Amino acid sequence: MNARTPQHDNVVSQALTQIGNCGLFLLTLLAAVPRSFRYLRETTRQLWFVGAMSLTIIMVCGLFVGMVLMLQLYHVLSIFGGTSASGMVVALSVYRELGPVVTALLFAGRAGTAVTAEIGLMRATDQISAMEMMAVDPVAYVATPRFLAGLIAMPLLCCVFCAMAIFGGHLVGVTWLGIDNGTFWSNMTAQVDIHTDIVNGVLLKSLAFGAVVSLIAVFQGFTTPPTSEGVAYATTRTVVASSIAILALDFVLTAFLM
Amino acid sequence: MTQPVRSPPDDATLVRIRGLTTVLNGKTIFDALDLDIPRGKVTSIMGPSGTGKTTLLKHITGQMHADAGSIHVDGHNVARLSREQLYKLREGVGYLFQNSALLTDFDVFENVAFPLRQHTRLPEALIRNLVLMKLQAVGLRGAARLMPNELSGGMARRVALARAIVFDPQLILYDEPFVGLDPVALNQVLKLIRTLNQTLGITSVLVSHELAAVQQIADHVMLLSNGKVVAQGDPKTIADDGSPWTRQFFGGEADGPIPFRYPAGDYAAELGFAGAAK
Repeated sequence: MNARTPQHDNVVSQALTQIGNCGLFLLTLLAAVPRSFRYLRETTRQLWFVGAMSLTIIMVCGLFVGMVLMLQLYHVLSIFGGTSASGMVVALSVYRELGPVVTALLFAGRAGTAVTAEIGLMRATDQISAMEMMAVDPVAYVATPRFLAGLIAMPLLCCVFCAMAIFGGHLVGVTWLGIDNGTFWSNMTAQVDIHTDIVNGVLLKSLAFGAVVSLIAVFQGFTTPPTSEGVAYATTRTVVASSIAILALDFVLTAFLM
Repeated sequence: MTQPVRSPPDDATLVRIRGLTTVLNGKTIFDALDLDIPRGKVTSIMGPSGTGKTTLLKHITGQMHADAGSIHVDGHNVARLSREQLYKLREGVGYLFQNSALLTDFDVFENVAFPLRQHTRLPEALIRNLVLMKLQAVGLRGAARLMPNELSGGMARRVALARAIVFDPQLILYDEPFVGLDPVALNQVLKLIRTLNQTLGITSVLVSHELAAVQQIADHVMLLSNGKVVAQGDPKTIADDGSPWTRQFFGGEADGPIPFRYPAGDYAAELGFAGAAK
């Protein structure tokens, strides 16, 4: 039998403390949203940084996910003579699960880590304290624009990811494996429901994932010890915590939305 | 009894500290410290490393809260101010950080313009002129479009100084303002601090180890050690006041009331020579 040790209690209490602090930080962020509207330029700049600058990786990964998915499905469905449904299955898989989840994981790795490292370094070099001393609220000026930018960018990136995945699926299925073009599109449009698949699947999930990833990234940056090692650990924690949160939240959302 | 947020401001004293006690990681930094910073004067706070000079500046600006005691800035009890009130107070305070703390996303011009853009709606042409005037004062008007990573340590400090004075605040706190400055820049910065004090009546608090520089501009010097003010007086005569604190600090002696070594256990025992020590 495994006995509970003080170390176990310590790890659990530390994790709970972190979650509690993160929740309190979310309240601080939300309270700062009205004040952050005067920093619209900063929010736009962050939207460019976390959104537009992530486009390449999202597009390339979306393309390959769609291609490999079509390849796998074609071979499985050909056993049952159902290859004509490949396009539809690719679309449903991408819209409901793979699109939001993979986009969020990529977003955490590309933009989340960058946000954490940037804010962590700002803390380490006293830039956050300097803002405080210049009577500029760093939560409204630094944290909230990055949080809002993540919130706006994620659904848009997810749409781009899904479009590229469908394009990749079409490329492999129709151009390479010879599925009929009309069958590919008609099966897809017949089975994909705007509300269930696009609104709930793509938009709602990616909005929730965007909020979670941005919150974790900004929180880790703001609470990191102001040392190079502290920033490195915080960046790692952003990826680990975001990945777990995305997958856990995906299960919860799917259970509620199905 | 709770302390009032605002007490009637004293005309002669801008910062009044009473019974300030701070303990960090089990070490007492301030032990019931009492200190007054006179309005419109240049006050220098000196003391050995690790004695809490920067911590004192953080207390004055409300960046850190003490375990006990009170700090009044212009009659405001800093610890009892709301966030909005504290920010309002800080708009009248300039702070030069030890490591400059320039915003790395912005160039020199935008760093100096940052407080103006955040707190005023001045026309762009006026902001430009104000920033260029401050940069001219620190000799860096020509470096306006350089990024912080293109500046030397001394240049970065001068930019930070220009940013600290851009609002002509009523109180400026300088944390080690002379570090990294070459003799020419040092002389100009000394003149600038003195001019700001004389022409605008700005109260300046200097944290520095450089007695020669401090003697040129300070009106009053306080020596901190062991959590208290152990000596204070005129900068030109304080070194000769005969107290063991000033004799050791200004004479650079290892032995005296100011501990050179951080508290530690037995040296021989730590090296494994416990037996030999006996």
